[in-house]
Order: sequence, then C-alpha cells, then structure tokens
Amino acid sequence: MLTLCKYEFLKIVRKKSTLIVMGISLLITTLLFGLPISQHQVYYQEGMIPGLAGIAYEKEQTTKYTVLLSEDYIANTINEFQKLFDDPENVGYDGNEEFIIGDAYWQYVAPQEKLLMMIAANYNQPGEYTGINKLRDVDLTAGANFYQTRESKIYALLTTPSRRLSDEQKSFWLKMNSKVATPFGYGYCEGWKTLLTSTELLVLAIFAICIVVTPVFAGEYQAGTDALLLSAKYGKTKLISAKVAAVFIFGLLTFTLHVLVACGLPLWSFGLDGWDLPVQIVNTSIPYPFTFLQAVMVNVAIIYCVLLALLSLTMCLSASMKNSYLVLGVLTAVVFLPVFLSPTDTAGIYNTILFLLPYRSTMLELNKYISYQFGSVVIDVHMLRIILYVVFTVLLLPLTRSSFRRHQAAE
Amino acid sequence: MELRLENLSKYYSSKCAVDQVNLTLVPGLYGLLGANGAGKTTLMRMICGILKPTLGRIIFNGQPIAGLGEQYYSHLGYLPQDFGYYPDFTAREFMLYMAAVKGLDQQNAKARTDTLLRLVNLSNVADKKIKTYSGGMLQRLGIAQAMLNDPSILILDEPTAGLDPKERVRFRNLISDLAKDKMVILSTHIVSDVSYIADTILLMKQGRILLHGPMSTVTDSIKGKVWEALVYATEADLYSRCFAVVNLRHENNMVRLRIVHDTAPFSGAYNVEPSLEDLFLYHFGETVALEGSPEHADIV
Repeated sequence: MLTLCKYEFLKIVRKKSTLIVMGISLLITTLLFGLPISQHQVYYQEGMIPGLAGIAYEKEQTTKYTVLLSEDYIANTINEFQKLFDDPENVGYDGNEEFIIGDAYWQYVAPQEKLLMMIAANYNQPGEYTGINKLRDVDLTAGANFYQTRESKIYALLTTPSRRLSDEQKSFWLKMNSKVATPFGYGYCEGWKTLLTSTELLVLAIFAICIVVTPVFAGEYQAGTDALLLSAKYGKTKLISAKVAAVFIFGLLTFTLHVLVACGLPLWSFGLDGWDLPVQIVNTSIPYPFTFLQAVMVNVAIIYCVLLALLSLTMCLSASMKNSYLVLGVLTAVVFLPVFLSPTDTAGIYNTILFLLPYRSTMLELNKYISYQFGSVVIDVHMLRIILYVVFTVLLLPLTRSSFRRHQAAE
Repeated sequence: MELRLENLSKYYSSKCAVDQVNLTLVPGLYGLLGANGAGKTTLMRMICGILKPTLGRIIFNGQPIAGLGEQYYSHLGYLPQDFGYYPDFTAREFMLYMAAVKGLDQQNAKARTDTLLRLVNLSNVADKKIKTYSGGMLQRLGIAQAMLNDPSILILDEPTAGLDPKERVRFRNLISDLAKDKMVILSTHIVSDVSYIADTILLMKQGRILLHGPMSTVTDSIKGKVWEALVYATEADLYSRCFAVVNLRHENNMVRLRIVHDTAPFSGAYNVEPSLEDLFLYHFGETVALEGSPEHADIV
C-alpha cells in the first residue's frame, strides 16, 4: 500500500503541469497576501510613510495604547475626545459635520484613531454607521456604560425581525456571548486583522490544487492505463485507496505551503502582536469568545475542511466523468460562481445556502449571527461548515471508489 | 486450470461486438485471428474482467469471475492493444509501480523487474523516462509488465504492433517459452505472429468464433480451395483483380500466383496445401499481412 501510495504521489508531482500550476499559484498567493504590506500607508503630520517603514511607525504609535478597556479608561478617553471640541482651534467644518483638525488631531486622535473608531462604533444602533464623531454624543454622566451598551446592542441585533431567529437560536447566541471576557484588552493586532480579512483568497490555491489532481482517475481513462490497472490484482481495491491517500497528501502538503506563505507574509511584516487579544476589538458586537489566534485557527481549519471536500469532489468527478476538462468545468462552477453572489439583508434559504458554499466558507462570519437549527439543536455557521465539509469528504469517497471499480475499459 | 466462456455477448447500443461466444480454454497458446473490428479486443477485455458482458458469463475453474475479484486478477497478465503508460516514469519505476498494483512484494518486484527488462532487452534504458522510448520499446515494456506476476492467464492484444521483424521473431520465441503451463491468448491480424507458435487457432469474424481448432487441422476446412499457377505478368494483373490472391512472386518473366478460391480459378492452376494465411484470406477476403514469413517475402 505504501509503495502504491508513493508511486501515485510521484505520478502527480512528476508532471510538468503540476510544477507550473503550483508555481503560478504560489506566486499569486505571495502577490495577493503581499499587497496589504506593499500598499500599507501611514499618515502622520509631515506626510505619509509607505510599506514596512509605515508599519513600523504605526506599530510604535499604537503600542502606546496597549491597555485594558475598563469602563473608566473608556470614559476618560471619550471625555478627552469631547473636550477637544471645546477649543474652536481644534475644530474644522466641511459643511456637513465638525471634526478635529491640526495638532489636536495629530497628537491625540491619529495615534489611537482605530481605538476611538471601535469605541464609537459600539454606541451605534444596529444598522447605524457613523464615524468617530459618535463619541461626542455619548452621555458620560453615569459613566461610559460601554459593556452594558454592547450587551443591549447584541440583544437588539438578535431580536431584529429580519433575522428571524428562534428563541433557541437567541439563547444560543446569548450563551455564547456570555463567554466573552470583559473588559477587553486592546493593542496592536494589524497582522491578525489583515489575515482575517484576506483568507478567502486561499480559494485560488484550493482551485489550483484541484486542477492538478483532476486527472487522478480521468487521466487513467484518457491515457488508456485504466485497462492495465483494472485488470491487476489491486486495481479495484488498494489502488483506489492509494490514489485517494496520494491526492490528500499532495493537497495537504501543497496547501500548507500556501497557508504558510499567506499567514507568514502579514505576520512577518506586521508582527505577531495581538494574537491573544479578543476579536471584539475589531467589532464589539462579535459574540464569539475568540482571541485573534483562535479565530485564525478556526478559519484555517474550516478552509482545510473545504479543501478536503473539494479534493473529494474532484476525485469523484474524475472517476465518473472520464474527461479532465469536464471535471474542471464543474469545479470552476462550484468554486467561482458563488464569488458573484452576495448575501441579502434578510434571512432565508438563499442566505442559508450561500453561507455554506465553498467560497463563502473560506471567510469567517463573526458578527452576522448565522446559525442553523435542527430540532432543538442550534449550530453556528462555522461548526456547520466543518461538519458539512467533513461529511462531504467522507461521503464522496465511496462514490469515487464505486465509479472507478465499475468503470468499463471499453476500446 | 480452465476458463469457460458461456454465451458471451457484448452489445454497444444496438451494435453487436461479440455474439454468443462459447469456448473452453485450457493451458496452451491460442492464436485469436480476426480482421480489425472483428471483436477480438472486446472479447479479451471481457476475459480480463474490465468490460462487463451484456449477456453470458466467464467461468474460471468452476466459478464465475465476477465473484472472484482479486483472486482472479492475480492470475491475469494483460497487454492491451493501445498500451497506456506514464511518460514521466522511467521503465523501472513503471514496472515497480505495476508490480505493486499486481500485489508483488518489494523484493520480488525488483527481481522480476530486472529479469523481465533484461528479457525484453530494455535493461540498458531501464532508468530513462518512458516518453523517450520508441514504439517498439514501448511495446516490449508492455509485454514485460504483463508478465510481472508470472500470470497463469496471459492475454496479449496485438502485442507485435510496432515491433520490427527481428523483435517480432524474438517476441514469438519469448511467448512460446512462456506459454508452458500457461493459458496464453494472443490476438492479432498478422497471421505469421501465431502460425509458428499457436497450439490452437480461434478465427473471429463479426463477433463470432468462426473456426476453432488445433493448428494442425484448422486449415482442413479449405483443403482443395488453394491454388497456385505460373502466369504471364500481363495476366497476373487481371487475375489479381478477379480472385483473392494470397501471394504473387516474380520468377524470370513469369509470375507465380497463389489464389484462394472454391474452384479452380483458371486452367493450369493446381491445388496446393492450404496455410493459415490462406484460411485467413478465405474468410476475410482481403490481403493478409504476412510480415516475417520467409516463404512469403514478396507478398503484396
């Protein structure tokens, strides 16, 4: 079996097309995940700093604000921001709204702008999108009430009629949210944030790997080796297992290489800082009790499940379709058609399916409260994706086996 | 060892490729002769268990092969007509891979690979990629892989295609040696491939086994129907158009014709002993390729 597996693996990697497709795929991954670094720009009082120098400057500035977001700290921060508006020298007006300008902006607002934005967004009503000026409206007479506001907002989100959440689903989310530890820690976490917003690009790597393994069975039919293999002792038994194992090994190894590049580039450039910070510092209405590291790990785990399921699908199609190009056509439709579909604002079967499709599944949906109810059991979208893709992977394998075994090696 | 084909038929839509074949095969070398499209490959693929018969069944040692699985396949060695291979593998890798698919352990696989590559004269290029091989080398590699598991049933579909005359003779001798205690079914449309080595001839036409008999008696059916005559060159053209001419040989200003016909084709023609080529031409009505046969060196 090991020998068979070794040769099946060699059959995949020896092809020139494998090296070309994997080379191009790695290059694209490097470029796509390198873009946020090369295009990163940081503005300061004297101008703009691009790329790695900008990242270093921003990191130095933000590190000063590595704090625990207690109610007092938040109240003081908001208070200081509000006070800036007392001095007309600090205030500009664009015909629509007032905003902080000059030294006040560069010395107070700019270094902690993302923190101020996050705090301000917490006070927005569901569906309301305002900027930093929301902080001017916060009533501090009874304190910041930051976390109370957050809880109320989450409850409001859960009871929004368009979400059509059942009582069980609401309880599920409230229970999950109760596990979120407060007060939040805050600090520099740009690498992890960048990573979380770009993981869907890994779908290109998955597609490239599927292209490479497409001929695993169909290639035998096309080359005429099917007659040799199927008339041999293990042609309908161990050979199939060896092919499946070789495809999974190849897929996992090459995809891990892509993941290392995809994760390595932003984390090397922006640093590992912030891995233990809660994801709520990006959006306070996130109910998941994850740190950035945990969120990335969950995301990557789901993407690996998608990879395995698509590899399984590729093998199944390859064993039954007899032509690599047909297999490729189906795969292209499965992977890329959902790219052009966007979720609607209301719940329904469309969204229910869309969030489970391969492309969508490469993205975390941390603040959308997407859950599925089976009887009294509620499962969130991420867990369901893992279950679904593992089940797909497992279910498609017997179909693959059966298709190859039943293949008729006609002239 | 016995392989029994019972009412074996294969239909592709409404077209019948193999029509109710009934045969009992025992160890020995069977020459399956038939023109292209006669159904030879379809029949062999059904025997190999890679093509499902539409009707009938194949019994190996008293048991239907459909239920034997690995047990049956471990007896098989098969060289398909269009031998598929992996261009990026070396011959040695290909052999070791096929040995693994055939269930040979690693040590045995290496030993058999070395022996067989030597036997088919590919030892010196064993570590070269198969994509650099000529057609003849590929065919020899195909033959070697078919023998890897020392099969008791060896099925060779047009195995001499692409081989030059010297290789063909070498191959014939090789098969003759290997056929001892084995059941070898060798399909071809080249009569000389089997005329020297086959124990039994199976003549196949339009999906049916037309004739089935030992090499020594199979030509009896056309006794008295093969004629030779010495004619002028100008007459030779005319006779060639009118009769099934197996052989045409120039002798000084005259031409010696060998004709297959039910009655004497013209006065002066005399009866000769029929050969396998005559039999083939009689049934298929077309010129037989007789490469490698010294007595028919001038065949047209």
